[in-house]
Amino acid sequence: MSADTLTGTARGTGAAPPRTPADRTGRGRAPRWTPGRLGLLAVALLLVVAWLLPLAWAVATSLKPEGETTRTPLEWVGSTVTLDAYRTVWEAGDLGRWMLNSAYVATMTTLLTVVVCAMAAYGFARTEFRGRRLLYGLVLAGIMVPPQVLMAPLFAQMVQLRLVDTYWGVILPQVAVPAMVFILVAFFRGVPRELEEAAFCDGASRWRVFWKIVVPLSRPVLAAVAIFTFISTWNNFLWPFLVTTDPAGMTLPVGLVNVQSTYGVRYAQVMASLVISGLPLLVVFALFQRQIVRGVAHTGLAGQ
Amino acid sequence: MPQMPPSRRSVLTGFGSLAATAGLGSAASGCAAPSAAGAGRTRLRFWHLYGGGDGVTMQAMLDAFRAGHPGVGLESATLQWGPAYYTKLGMAGAGGRAPEVAALHLSRLPGFAPGRLLDPFDLDLLARHGVRPEHFPEAIWRRGASGGAQYAIPFDTHPFVLFYNTEVCAKAGLLDGNSPGKREEDGEKGQGKRGAKGRSGGKARLRPLAGVGEFTRALRAAREATGHPGLVIETLGNDTVGPWRLFATFYAQAGGTVLDPTATRVTLDDAKALRVLEWMRSLVEDGHAPRRVDYTGAVSRFNNGDSAFLITGEWEVSTYLTTELPFSMTRIPNLFGRPSAFADCHTFVLPHQADRGGASNEAAHRFVAWMLRHSTDWAAGGHVPAYRPVLSEPAYLELHPQSEYRSVVDDVALDPPAWFAGSASAMQIELGAALSGVLTGSRSPRDGLDEVRKRLRDLLATPDPFGGRA
Amino acid sequence: MTTTAAVPPPAPAAKAAGGSAAGPPRAVRHRWTEHGLLFTAPFLLVYGLFLVWPLFYGVKMSLGDDNIAGTGSRFVGLANYAEALTDPEMWDSLGNTLWFTVLSTVPLVVLGLVLALLAHELRVVQWLWRLSWFAPFLLPSGVVCLLWLWMIYPSDFGLADQLLASAGLHPGIGWLTEPRYAMLSVVLTTVWWTIGFNFLLYLAGLQAIPAHLYEAAELDGAGAWSRLVHVTLPMLRRTTFVVLVLQLLASLKIFDQVYIMTGGGPDESTRPILQYVYQAGFTGYRIGYASAVSYIFFALIVVVSLVQLRLSRRASEESRR
Repeated sequence: MSADTLTGTARGTGAAPPRTPADRTGRGRAPRWTPGRLGLLAVALLLVVAWLLPLAWAVATSLKPEGETTRTPLEWVGSTVTLDAYRTVWEAGDLGRWMLNSAYVATMTTLLTVVVCAMAAYGFARTEFRGRRLLYGLVLAGIMVPPQVLMAPLFAQMVQLRLVDTYWGVILPQVAVPAMVFILVAFFRGVPRELEEAAFCDGASRWRVFWKIVVPLSRPVLAAVAIFTFISTWNNFLWPFLVTTDPAGMTLPVGLVNVQSTYGVRYAQVMASLVISGLPLLVVFALFQRQIVRGVAHTGLAGQ
Repeated sequence: MPQMPPSRRSVLTGFGSLAATAGLGSAASGCAAPSAAGAGRTRLRFWHLYGGGDGVTMQAMLDAFRAGHPGVGLESATLQWGPAYYTKLGMAGAGGRAPEVAALHLSRLPGFAPGRLLDPFDLDLLARHGVRPEHFPEAIWRRGASGGAQYAIPFDTHPFVLFYNTEVCAKAGLLDGNSPGKREEDGEKGQGKRGAKGRSGGKARLRPLAGVGEFTRALRAAREATGHPGLVIETLGNDTVGPWRLFATFYAQAGGTVLDPTATRVTLDDAKALRVLEWMRSLVEDGHAPRRVDYTGAVSRFNNGDSAFLITGEWEVSTYLTTELPFSMTRIPNLFGRPSAFADCHTFVLPHQADRGGASNEAAHRFVAWMLRHSTDWAAGGHVPAYRPVLSEPAYLELHPQSEYRSVVDDVALDPPAWFAGSASAMQIELGAALSGVLTGSRSPRDGLDEVRKRLRDLLATPDPFGGRA
Repeated sequence: MTTTAAVPPPAPAAKAAGGSAAGPPRAVRHRWTEHGLLFTAPFLLVYGLFLVWPLFYGVKMSLGDDNIAGTGSRFVGLANYAEALTDPEMWDSLGNTLWFTVLSTVPLVVLGLVLALLAHELRVVQWLWRLSWFAPFLLPSGVVCLLWLWMIYPSDFGLADQLLASAGLHPGIGWLTEPRYAMLSVVLTTVWWTIGFNFLLYLAGLQAIPAHLYEAAELDGAGAWSRLVHVTLPMLRRTTFVVLVLQLLASLKIFDQVYIMTGGGPDESTRPILQYVYQAGFTGYRIGYASAVSYIFFALIVVVSLVQLRLSRRASEESRR
């Protein structure tokens, strides 16, 4: 089978370079507040409220004194606003450790994925070697293999390699992502050859050309891949859940679900730990909203 | 607006949490520093599944152990109770980096492939720390052995029991003894972790009930006294096992068995099973028990104070000790011929480590022996200690109502010794779901029984992953 | 099929680059071929080790009675497959997965489009729309599912029942304990959590529609509705296709939400196929049998992917015409 047919959907949408902000104003006219548009606004705001309600409830509950969390009828604010729940769950130690684990795993995976996939993509896009097309076809075929299908054999393999309960056991199986190679190949093919040829004539080696010319030119797409990888690794549940059994080595989502607090479930504390766990990526999102939105849309369209 | 009933879990707020927070800090320091093993300390990891009141008790015991053993770096982890815990423990044993010691339900042992996912205890080493086989009830000690080696050291027996509301029962005229139903004044302060000393339960006991007729009359009397169903039982829920445990209790009383002793054949006795199921069904149909109640719902309903009885595990004692509820506990009445009750035992096991031995293995044995010798503390959470020397200690006998039902340990019905049976096992969950329908009314007793038989056959037909060696 | 270094390749890249020099000088051509394998080697190593090898190793496992402790693997032929295909639990789980896919894909695609249309049409406070509808996508499944679990599970004081009560409706719905609601609760949670992804894809699709199309439509006197039906929706066909396919594939892989919120219950009525694999292999230790079930599921995924390929190829052929 040929590489191109395997990726039909992604072609066209996925290969398009990231949009510039100018694209965003699809129709350049100042909005007028007609009754119709006001109606739409009302609908949209209603949906916003519906979407924010659970988050608001989590925050509100986490700020109540523990004794008041289960009162009826519903009260959004308790008798006092307190950070006790936050203090308790944070001092319990687990959340902080899991967050560090998650940060380490996500950072390493992202770094490795970007480097390894970019190099491979460059190799496939710009070099010739025996079996290149066959290998690329094999890589693209991998897009069809959901990692979830491999959970049993991969775990057995990790047992044999003695990688269960290690960071590398979590990281390595998440590194080789065929879809990312596909996105990058499409991009690298669009990089003008003349730039590279000029550098070759100046005597630059291929490594130099890759690192000094191609990589800087590809910053936006590399950022998109990195952002997408980071988010999906940070939030990945199934694989880290399988390969870590020791609570000390769990990532945030896995630890939250698998370890019970010793003193039973208390609402304010549960909500506080959820807020703490959700916060890092939300803060990152607030800071880099536009890049993240673009990265996710771009990478997502290419067929993750 | 009516005051909302606290659920089992939220009940542990307030009072208990104050004491708990102190312990939390030290727990964190114990395991937040994996390097604790560094400075000449022996690393000892202990995994368990004790939450709620048991969690608080266990934490206190672990802290006490730490205080007395500065040379041991004890790191404990509380994993999510149920299938999740056992999955993780099995995977850890397979992965080779398992903890030094862990908790396990005795009924799960056959499925845990002793010798493959578990390592045997060194009985000489245990004896050196004062723990010997003759200290345990023989039957449960034997169930901890496999192929001539001891893989599980029993910690407790935790049976299903009958909780009763002393006030409601007094009103319904169901109590024996003097001053029925009067709650003693000093009960207000006796809410520490030790027990309900001084509560009415200490003096006015439930009149012995025997046989279905007497029990039903008691339920009727309770309903007349309060206008509410007299009994609360768990009838449904996700991974609900209550209906199975209820059935297992009364079916064992009727003298029935589910599987033959080698766990290869279904031995359900239709007549006995149907008698029990018809009766269970009638509890709901006749309005003696509410129809749709999940586990936490059952616990909190009884806490409302309207019901005379609750049938559940004794471990809920720690929930009610933190509330104002006037209650006591006793053995489940003998309704069908034999004084039996569903139960299981917590045990200690040594998960398989590729390189077990040395100082940390020695520390694991020392730890297990220490926990057993201090199991009076554990008994405060309702469990009957398996280490018999403790049972005659005054400190244990003074625990009320926790020592009221200790005699049940000789009449308990554990799950059959099949690889797929035991607490939070496939069998309990499958059968719990099948029997839930009988209680909620979606299945007739006959259908329920057929479903149980079918599911048992399916389980028997599933190949044992470890080739039948258990 | 394979191209050797000696023969200059047709250079597919040259086309993409807008046509480059007719024939590079010899020295430069050599550079094009230099280090090719070295660049791809790290990826191929990891890919081979952690994707290709387990894929084949799994096939071998699925033909044996492997347990999780890795002891005593005997060859049993197709027995695991035969058992799986005759196991009603496997079919029920597969059915649950498909049912979830249907139930979740429809609202996720339709609502994703609606949200994107709203945001695009209003064109004000874009940050607010993105924040509220996309931000949940950034939360780990554990956070989302535990939040929803504690919102809807506790009767009486959970947020869901309280809102119902304040609306004068009867609270106490067994959101997660009754088979007829449990799956819907999982779907609801999933929609809240992942709608943002489809929303963004649609938004990108909307922004790519050339403005002149709308201007032309307006000159023809088309109203807002007619512009939506005759311009926007047809122009979004390709986006919709991508969204739909991605959503189908994502929904088929449902695991986290069910595992965390219902554990597959009540009475396995929500258990998806991946959880069945997990239970067979990791809870039940029958990792060989679990592999066999995995490959049955894999076959389903491959079928969906191939259907998608066919459709997209036909679509692109049509658009080329």
